Amino acid sequence: MQVLVERSALLKATSHAQGVVERRNTIPILSNLLIETAESGLSLKATDLDIEIIESLPAQVAREGAVTVSAHMLHEIVRKLPDGAEVSLVADGDGSLTVSAGRSRFALQTLPKEDFPVMASSEFDCTFQANAATVRRLFDKAKFAISTEETRYYLNGVYFHVAEANGAKTMRAVATDGHRLAQIEAPLPEGAAGMADVIVPRKTVGELRKLLEVDSDAVEISVSETKIRFSNQGVTLTSKVIDGSFPDYSRVIPANNTMKLELDADRFANAVDRVATVSSERTRAVKMSLDADRLVLSVNSPDSGSATEELEVAYSADPIEIGFNSKYLIEIAQQIDDQNAIFLFSDPGSPTLVREGEDASAIYVVMPMRV
Amino acid sequence: MTALKHKTEAPDDSLSIRRLPEAAINRIAAGEVVERPAAAVKELVENALDAGARQIDVTIADGGRSLIRVADDGRGMTSDELPLALERHATSKTDGEDLLDIHSFGFRGEALPSIAAVSRLTLASRRLHGSSGLAAQAWEITVSGGAIGELRPTALGSGTVVEARDLFFATPARLKFLKSDRAETQAVSEVLKRLAMAAPEVGFTLVDSGRTLFRAPAGDHRLARLARIMGREFEDNALPIEAEREGLRLTGFAGLPTYHRGAASHQFLFVNNRPVRDKLLVGAVRGAYSDFLPKERHPALALYLDLDPQRVDVNVHPAKTEVRFRDAGLVRGLIIGALKHALAEAGHRASTTVGLGALGRFASAPRGDAPAYRGRPTAPGLQEQLRAFQAPFSAQDQDGAQEALLNEGWSTREFDDPASHELETQAVGLPLGVPRAQIHETYIVSQTADGIVVVDQHAAHERLVYERLKRGLASADAPAQALLTPEIVELDPVDAERIAAASAELARLGLEVEGFGVGAVCVRATPATLGTPDVAQMIRDLADDLSELGAAHSLEARLEAVCSSMACHGSVRAGRRLSAAEMHALLREMEATPHSGQCNHGRPTYVTLKLADLEKLFERA
Repeated sequence: MQVLVERSALLKATSHAQGVVERRNTIPILSNLLIETAESGLSLKATDLDIEIIESLPAQVAREGAVTVSAHMLHEIVRKLPDGAEVSLVADGDGSLTVSAGRSRFALQTLPKEDFPVMASSEFDCTFQANAATVRRLFDKAKFAISTEETRYYLNGVYFHVAEANGAKTMRAVATDGHRLAQIEAPLPEGAAGMADVIVPRKTVGELRKLLEVDSDAVEISVSETKIRFSNQGVTLTSKVIDGSFPDYSRVIPANNTMKLELDADRFANAVDRVATVSSERTRAVKMSLDADRLVLSVNSPDSGSATEELEVAYSADPIEIGFNSKYLIEIAQQIDDQNAIFLFSDPGSPTLVREGEDASAIYVVMPMRV
Repeated sequence: MTALKHKTEAPDDSLSIRRLPEAAINRIAAGEVVERPAAAVKELVENALDAGARQIDVTIADGGRSLIRVADDGRGMTSDELPLALERHATSKTDGEDLLDIHSFGFRGEALPSIAAVSRLTLASRRLHGSSGLAAQAWEITVSGGAIGELRPTALGSGTVVEARDLFFATPARLKFLKSDRAETQAVSEVLKRLAMAAPEVGFTLVDSGRTLFRAPAGDHRLARLARIMGREFEDNALPIEAEREGLRLTGFAGLPTYHRGAASHQFLFVNNRPVRDKLLVGAVRGAYSDFLPKERHPALALYLDLDPQRVDVNVHPAKTEVRFRDAGLVRGLIIGALKHALAEAGHRASTTVGLGALGRFASAPRGDAPAYRGRPTAPGLQEQLRAFQAPFSAQDQDGAQEALLNEGWSTREFDDPASHELETQAVGLPLGVPRAQIHETYIVSQTADGIVVVDQHAAHERLVYERLKRGLASADAPAQALLTPEIVELDPVDAERIAAASAELARLGLEVEGFGVGAVCVRATPATLGTPDVAQMIRDLADDLSELGAAHSLEARLEAVCSSMACHGSVRAGRRLSAAEMHALLREMEATPHSGQCNHGRPTYVTLKLADLEKLFERA
């Protein structure tokens, strides 16, 4: 194999690929990425056996071939090369790949390409096109609520499915860790109605983000019972989905919370962050005391002190005192972009609903804490 | 009824119901009481104790299989009583009116006939006549596999000798299931030692095929007897336990937390002087020591519980190793309370074995050409000297020491600045003394009235932070994070009920749980400190705790583990240079904080060396 490739294109591809490759592997070949010459130039492939990413990039192919090398090492080399460099990749079948650019030369150990694992191809039941920004929003706003607790593995991802709201079908992303929940909706793209309900694993959600950075109207999404595939601008990410059933979350979304609080999300998040400074490290409990148009945030920590901060808000319901984990409040407030945040309370022991203005396409539910 | 009829009408005669012959009944009963030689030894020795013996000699051969002989110097029996003693349910120990009011070891009247049913037994006894002091003629009687022989006069000093040969010869099946001679001997020895712990005033010997395995002279003190059995070191590391509550009296000795063992085999409970094994003790001990011991380490202790026989049922099992208390909660509370109290008092006493070990290493330093050091640091002589090694200071001691120091005109020049000078004069008589130096930026060396103290700064500070965090934990209800969807955990119905019954206590710890029909509980909130725990696992662990130990140890332990790791991160590390004032403050806080003698992992936070020990090292004393 002998190819010449532009440094920035190669860097983009290796950075995508090395995100998928795990740092430590018991199977050596999983540390490597497969570089193959293709019609359009080069194709780079990396996998951790659950996720597979294939990226094609333009290159001048002088001699066809394929080779596998350490993903992290190649990425580090390319990263450290000067901008605008032309990188030459030469493999002569002697067990090494020569990477050279300018006056730098690297000889990297390779492993036979035949050993590189191939993800079993599967039939996708449903394929449709979606807007990159839309898909990005669905996953971005939901992912903070993904659970990290391993025993309830079915919560370790985003539940991506078609739902029915007010008689219209929508595409929905839901994540929860048992304490809070995020439910984000988008209009259903054409051809997506038959999509299977899938739970997209946390790692895939992270890698997907990189792929969606390039805006386009044509992100191709293919879904089957066991796999999901996203393709955008020459990058294809295929992932297994979590084999489990997501709990029926609709029951926990309160419908009759009437005590309405409206506030500026940024100022609120900053204030919560400030008062939480004195809370003991592990519990981070913040109390919200609401009275007419006035919110007092307070933290009382027996061994380090107390803090209060007052915020002007719009509130006209009965006074209420309710406690929350400050981290949960901050993370939800950070999802609110342009408008005011609206909190809807019922009582200090029941779930609270949060949304952005009157926009019901992204709603968050958080459980209070008894303090 | 039809089934029964069918059975009686069955042509095969062997299937009809019949009364078993006496010998078979005795053999079956023997299986319950005497399942191995150790059980026979236990029964016979208990009989000897009940007979008021002062000296009991046990001889066995081949693990007790071919010979068990128990000789005592007790009251003895008359010729009339001898054959009666071999009959089932014949006993001198109760009149049968009230089986709940038992003051002796035995009362069922089963042991002797049971052993006689499965061996060749010779029973010889001579009755001492009360006031006259004259002894009657000694008699003996022989039983073989349940067949009682003739009563014969014999020669015997005083008391009773029971000799059982060829145990289980009449029940070959039992014989097959015996373990190796060695294991059986071990079991006999264990049984005898337990009984010896219960009766320190009685002398015991155990001889196996001419070899003396165990000897305890009559008239021991209890602690001396315990040390004889649990090891010399126990004596130096034991805390006396004494507590009384609502007619329950608990005495005994508990090991210091720094003196721990790999197994829980050194934990003994005696109820009305009867050795018993009880889960209750295991749980209570674990609860009391939970903060002080490393994982998988166990304290050594021997506790004696005395209570009205009416309040405990010893008749649960023929071998009487299990008991049932009328009020188990009270007993558990008493044991935990007494142990915790003793441990709190001993908070400043690290195990002397630590100090001795360190001293040993001191002494083994190379000594160049100096004359050979003859004394061995762990020799008994030195141990005697060190008996009072780290006894807690009494107020009197402190005053005296302070006065002595002042009289001798001790001056302190180590610290130049007047403020610390003042601190120092105040500290002269305090238990942990005046910090003199920090060495290797890890240990604080301080001078006390009569020795030196070396403090591990990280371990000590970690414990102080931990105690502070724990006080915080105990002072208020733990915050509870509500769950979006209540988690339903399915359990055994009994466990579920137990969890639901403990819900008030659990709520205080931040776990909100309620019953959910039969065999399930519904968890609404979990302790916020634990993040997102595995709820089902947590509840199952709790159910086990509640059934075994009667308290929610595992949840408390998890919360305390969080405190502990926070304490570890929030405390002064080794390698940090401390100023004189900081060292001072640390020592004074240690004196004021309970349990500061051990770090959270059971290691000592400081060791002391008395001046006398130092002199010993330099051969000045």
